[in-house]
Amino acid sequence: MATLRIDKLNKAYGDVQVLKDIELAISDGEFVVLVGPSGCGKSTLLRMIAGLDGVTSGDIHIGERRVTNLEPSQRKIAMVFQSYALYPHMNVRKNMTFGLKFSGMKQAEMDRRVAEAARMLRLDQLLERRPRELSGGQRQRVAIGRAIVREPDVFLFDEPLSNLDAALRVSTRVEIAKLHRLLGATMVYVTHDQTEAMTLADRIVVMNQGRVAQVGRPLDLYYTPANLFVAGFIGSPAMNFFDARVEKKGPGSVTLSGMAFKPFELAATSFAPAVGAKIKIGVRPEHLGSPTPTGFQLAGAVELVERLGETSYAYIRGGGETQVVAEIRGRDAPSAGQTVILGAPDRELHLFDEAGERIAAA
Amino acid sequence: MAQPQSQVVAYMPRSRFLGLMLLFLGPALVIYTAISVYPLIATMALSTYATTETGEHVFVGLGNFRTLFTDAVWSKPFWNACLNNLIFFLVHMAVQNPIGIILAGLLSLPNLKLRATYRTLIFMPTMLSVVIIGFSWSLILSPLWGVAEGALKLVGLGSLFRPWLGLPSSALVTLALISVWQFVGIPMMLIYAALLNIPDELIDAARVDGLTHLRIFTHIKLPLVAPTIGLVSILTFVGNFNAFDLIYSVKGAIAGPNFAADILGTFFYRTFFGYQLQAGNPTMGAAVATVMFFIILCGVCVYLFGVQRRLQRYTF
Amino acid sequence: MRSKISAFGVHAVLTAYTFLAVAPILLVVMNSFKSRAAIFGAPVAPPSAATFSLIGYNKALGAAHVGWLFFNSIVVTLVSMGFVLLLGAMAAWALTEYKFRGSTLLALFLSIGVMVPIRLGSIAILTMMRNAHLNDTLIALILVYVAQGLPLSIFILSEFVEQIPKDLRDAARCDGVPETRIFFEVIAPLLRPAIATVAVFTIVPIWNDLWFPLILTSSDTTHTITLGVQQFLGQYVTDWNAVLAALSLAIVPVVVIYVIFSRQLIRGVTAGAVK
Repeated sequence: MATLRIDKLNKAYGDVQVLKDIELAISDGEFVVLVGPSGCGKSTLLRMIAGLDGVTSGDIHIGERRVTNLEPSQRKIAMVFQSYALYPHMNVRKNMTFGLKFSGMKQAEMDRRVAEAARMLRLDQLLERRPRELSGGQRQRVAIGRAIVREPDVFLFDEPLSNLDAALRVSTRVEIAKLHRLLGATMVYVTHDQTEAMTLADRIVVMNQGRVAQVGRPLDLYYTPANLFVAGFIGSPAMNFFDARVEKKGPGSVTLSGMAFKPFELAATSFAPAVGAKIKIGVRPEHLGSPTPTGFQLAGAVELVERLGETSYAYIRGGGETQVVAEIRGRDAPSAGQTVILGAPDRELHLFDEAGERIAAA
Repeated sequence: MAQPQSQVVAYMPRSRFLGLMLLFLGPALVIYTAISVYPLIATMALSTYATTETGEHVFVGLGNFRTLFTDAVWSKPFWNACLNNLIFFLVHMAVQNPIGIILAGLLSLPNLKLRATYRTLIFMPTMLSVVIIGFSWSLILSPLWGVAEGALKLVGLGSLFRPWLGLPSSALVTLALISVWQFVGIPMMLIYAALLNIPDELIDAARVDGLTHLRIFTHIKLPLVAPTIGLVSILTFVGNFNAFDLIYSVKGAIAGPNFAADILGTFFYRTFFGYQLQAGNPTMGAAVATVMFFIILCGVCVYLFGVQRRLQRYTF
Repeated sequence: MRSKISAFGVHAVLTAYTFLAVAPILLVVMNSFKSRAAIFGAPVAPPSAATFSLIGYNKALGAAHVGWLFFNSIVVTLVSMGFVLLLGAMAAWALTEYKFRGSTLLALFLSIGVMVPIRLGSIAILTMMRNAHLNDTLIALILVYVAQGLPLSIFILSEFVEQIPKDLRDAARCDGVPETRIFFEVIAPLLRPAIATVAVFTIVPIWNDLWFPLILTSSDTTHTITLGVQQFLGQYVTDWNAVLAALSLAIVPVVVIYVIFSRQLIRGVTAGAVK
């Protein structure tokens, strides 16, 4: 068990900068999820922590040890791969002990560890099987078992659930969460699936184009996204954005206007952008509901309604041809062709300046 | 030379990485360099020397090549061998590839019964030694045995029979056809494999569009396997301009009658080892080998830069 | 109806060609079991009780050191193949896995040997072998065949190495498996299906080669079966019984082995096919 610290980490392939000045401190026993769209560098970052990819500049510490220039085997890490990466010609037991052999571990100790991991992951009956005789979920558990027997300082997971079908993905997700609680180990987990990120993580690192866009607890990212990217990335369906303009700044309030919504006054004692500044307002579909007379309010024609049962998504064309998605719970969803008026309370509005950074409005 | 730039060995001490590369690449490189590359270069170097009466080697620059190309004694058999070799190759291209394509096309038809049996039997001659094949055919074509003549009579063409292998006018083409008969399995297999790689959806789509099997073959499959046909052609070229065994085993080093079937391989052998009364000449032999090398090199270059670049490769 | 006719046509063409491919071989083998009179009297008739004769085999087996020839061919072929596979796989792994300055150049250097026949260097090879006192030994043949087989085997094996998921060696590295062990214990076992392919491209040309035994070996004890048969045929050219028997002796083992392994061999050829 150990902390993990990443300082000013950079990675370039030739002229292509893949990771830029990554800073991250992970405490002992924490479950951190790296999430972002494909190509954002999250997998590269994980592979650099593992020692599978070289570091261009910067430092990685595991506990007090500087591991930047150590080989993977010396870092006391274990990694679980998306493809499971089980050795196809070895049975489950050998898959788990293969690496241990080379550390000079005694047979008795290996047996003890395998037995313990097998019990934990319900693999007892499968130890003599070859990987191809296992189901996808079982293979995944073997891959996790192979990591557990190493008793590493840090567990690394590279999209471990991506190859599983939807039902198995949910149950394995729950198992990983339980395992984390049981082992109390430091874990770094890469995924592109925000549900996995939200449900598993103590803290989420959202990455975009080689940079850390935001680090925070799942609900912090949801309620106070630091920038447009995180706001758009976290949440499904994605947040609606509206172009807006600062019309007036008075003491204790600002007036905002835009094509898609009725001009309104927002209570704010401090508000950085000047009058005339272009900003963006973000509203999550699930926060659009009955309007209040003075708050954010928009009108539009419903073009399409998707009814999922417990909830419905209405696709609305608002003023200035703005596309808006609203989530409507229960039975009273509008139907296509109807005109609706929707609003959102002040505290559910997210404001971003022209650079895409969150505007603190208090 | 070996400097760890790789991701995976970024952390490895340089000496250890060198050791690793030496272990993995060393043996293969040493054997390949010492026994394949070096002799080739040494042979080319030797081709710039001449052998004196006393067996010593003196440097003559490109003199051997001048002798080979223009000297009355040397140039006649040399150009004869070159021309014969070209004919040998053209017969292969004209006969082997079309037959290979047709057979591959038929074998790759959907729902074909006995596919594996046909495939196995047609490929069988390819596995046998050229010596065996050459000799078997020379028996079959021999007027002494009369099998070929009998077979022709059976279809009413008995009067067409000639001792083809023995006649200067037909010996070379007959040998080429024997070689085609033996090696047609290779283009067949390679093209067959390429045809199998074409996704079924593509063929289904064409059938939905109303194309016949024949049209599907000529308009869709054939263009898609063009790169393989290119590959087969260059393999045939290299093999033909390096051929020796068949002609040597059927016709001996003389490649007779009257050198009618002499190709570069047999000419090289005779030059180097000598035959009958003429003594072997290693330096002229080296010159012949060098010429063969450049011919093959030209062929490979034409293929790499001319043919292969223009043929679009499709990945499915 | 139309499809039935065309299916018949397809089978007619394929059967005809198959007959053309097999008949000459069959004819030789069949006649090798017949008396001289029957060979000439009724060439296409199968041997009957009256025409059956093993006289050719007596001569062929008596005249040549068939045992030696087979032994030499088997030793040379198997040892060469072993080295080609082992060294080829190691080199293919190193070239695909470790990128270092010059690795592309090295791969290019090796690929020359795929296209340029080693025969062209024969003169220098012979000189080298003489100088090393290796001429007329099986070692000389093995060395030449290993050098001949390596480039193509490296080329083919590299394709197979590429297909092994990269995650496997990453997992092995995280597991603390030393680099050499990654090759021998993780990668090499997974290359087993490639063996058939490499074997076709290695064994067949070696077994059937006439050129190098002809120039590198001079005594009966180092001749291979192909050269032995060729010389025997030359000597007994008029003794049809002996010639047909010798040809059959050379054909039958290869055909039997071929038929047994044809499935793997053909899979090998088609898998190794470069698209």
